[in-house]
Amino acid sequence: MRVLIIEDEADLLASLAKALREEGYAVDTAADGEEGLYKAQSWDYDVILLDVMLPRLDGWTILHRLRESKKTPVLMLTARDAARDRVRGLDTGADDYMVKPFDLEELLARLRALIRRAAGQTRNVIDIGEVVMDIAARRVTRAGQPVALTAREYALVEFLALRRGEVVTRTALYEHLFDEDDNTLSNLLDVHVSNLRKKLGAEFITTHRGHGYSIT
Amino acid sequence: MRFFQSIRWRLQLWHGVMLALVLTGFGVTAWRLDRATLFQRADQDLERRVAVIAGAIRGDGAPGRPPQAQARPPQDRPPQDRPPRDRPPQDRPDFGTRQAPRPDAPEPDPDASVSDTAAEIAVYYVAWDADGRELLRSALAPGDVPRPERVAGQRATRLRGALREYIHFTPRGECILVGRDISTELAGLRRFAVLLAGAGSAVFAIGLAVGWWISTRALRPIAGISATAARISTGDLTQRIPIADSGSELDDLARVLNDTFARLQASFDRQAQFTADASHELRTPVTVVLTQTQNALARERSAADYRDSLASCQRAAQRMRRLTESLLTLARLDSGNTADRSLCELDRVAADAIDLLRPLAQQQDVTLSADLLPARCEGHAEQLGQVVANLVSNALYYNRPGGTVQVSVSSGPDAAVLSVHDTGLGIAPDDLPHIFERFYRADIARSSAAGRTGLGLAITKSIVDAHGGSIKVVSTPGKGSTFTVRLPAGPSVPA
Repeated sequence: MRVLIIEDEADLLASLAKALREEGYAVDTAADGEEGLYKAQSWDYDVILLDVMLPRLDGWTILHRLRESKKTPVLMLTARDAARDRVRGLDTGADDYMVKPFDLEELLARLRALIRRAAGQTRNVIDIGEVVMDIAARRVTRAGQPVALTAREYALVEFLALRRGEVVTRTALYEHLFDEDDNTLSNLLDVHVSNLRKKLGAEFITTHRGHGYSIT
Repeated sequence: MRFFQSIRWRLQLWHGVMLALVLTGFGVTAWRLDRATLFQRADQDLERRVAVIAGAIRGDGAPGRPPQAQARPPQDRPPQDRPPRDRPPQDRPDFGTRQAPRPDAPEPDPDASVSDTAAEIAVYYVAWDADGRELLRSALAPGDVPRPERVAGQRATRLRGALREYIHFTPRGECILVGRDISTELAGLRRFAVLLAGAGSAVFAIGLAVGWWISTRALRPIAGISATAARISTGDLTQRIPIADSGSELDDLARVLNDTFARLQASFDRQAQFTADASHELRTPVTVVLTQTQNALARERSAADYRDSLASCQRAAQRMRRLTESLLTLARLDSGNTADRSLCELDRVAADAIDLLRPLAQQQDVTLSADLLPARCEGHAEQLGQVVANLVSNALYYNRPGGTVQVSVSSGPDAAVLSVHDTGLGIAPDDLPHIFERFYRADIARSSAAGRTGLGLAITKSIVDAHGGSIKVVSTPGKGSTFTVRLPAGPSVPA
């Protein structure tokens, strides 16, 4: 899952990016409104964390312009907590709203919920044959036994599971699993898929040669 | 409401008492005047009759008086239209003006000659000689007429029940008493008294009613004012007193109060906005601390990671410290404490502040130059130092590498002038009117000076205002800005 954080407070931006990376997200960052809007319009992020008070372009304007072209889920972060501001944020097209100072755990939970809803999932548990995925707990079991996955592997399974039945192209997987700073070797994806087949069963991921991968 | 502490009741009471006094005084005076006139008229009538009787008693001694006058004293004369109870006298005493009755002429009526009305009133008389023996007594005289005691002077009057009596003492000691029943007049006087009382009461009642109405109308705006003030005191500062435009003094009061309420509300709103802004400014560093600590504690980390987290928390805490210090400074300035003022040498204050900022100038790669001429002003040295420090550090922060900041202090005719010129980013015309507002940060400034509180210029302006000075800024975006502070000059530097 790839996330864009638009936040002008450097320390907050850094700590949010760090926390999200540790959760297995691919994280892009922007320190001002113009850069944030440019990135948000250029890539299909799975979710955007948007601060309201930003230099150059404020959060309202970014949200308004972004909604002209993209449906990317947006979680707004703001120091203003008047109900009027929250209403304005949600009415402009924000999908969720958090007031600073917030709890990191809650922020992560809301991000997961946003991603799940954007994929059309209402439940946190996805059954794929004998493999069961708990998105909320970020846990995968096979025949009742927990399976240890790396953050990247988990992200790959989650991305495919949320698009169950669809063929996901390699390009899409690269775009959503690796951030702008990753200089990934092109065969890294094949390594992850091969490892997942060892852990979850050879039939778990189907390869569509020339197109991409899918989970059925 | 306690009656006697209510203005309205006190007004009403005072007004009522005054009205009652005036009406009573007027009524009593009118009644007494009427009564006096009544007695006077009756007494004049009786006096004329006394003169007739006195003439009759004196008759023998009087020259040219006909003898029959002695023998036939005057008789009471009843009204001619009444059945005669007492025969009118056949002959009348002479008044001395006539020498003799003229038989050919009709007998003149002496009563008619003195009073026409008296003719209709039963008059009686009694005369005593000096020894108290009755000389004369008319038939109509009541039997119990007491002989009056001799009094000083020749005449006296008295009222016995409804009988008015006129008493005359002759020089020889005789006493003549003429009286008559004045009950009709007394009844009239009583009716007059009743009329006066009735009219007085009516006027009193009307006066009270009108007074009540006027005081109600006059005091109604006060009720409105106090109701509005009560709503305001419960916290609803948007309330205003309705002004009737009646031109009364209370309209002016209401206007003054409304102005006061408006200013209060503006001040409260500013304060609320300021508090909200301050809390917003504190939220971001608190968020950094929370996020950093929660993330750091989520799992075991390397020492370098912990160090990074702690450094981040430290920066957030320092930012909060700067913010709280600035808030405290502003609160102190707002409370308007002007103590600790003394004569300051602005050039030395500026020199000290600039020295502290030289390391920052080096770090920002900006040339900091100063042109300080002696200038004195009355003020708080530490606060004035803060003014210089704020302006100069802004000029350094919002500058370009290789730029310059020029500080000058000079002494004008009536002001000490501090000027800070930079070759920095400049201020956009849209931002210019707002830069002295609390927490206002020009967009361009936000990106280049993270960690600044947004209160520096607000504090600077508060200090300058508290010193009775002025601060002005001229700015060209992209070229730089010049801030000029004028402070009222202290005593001139001795030559």
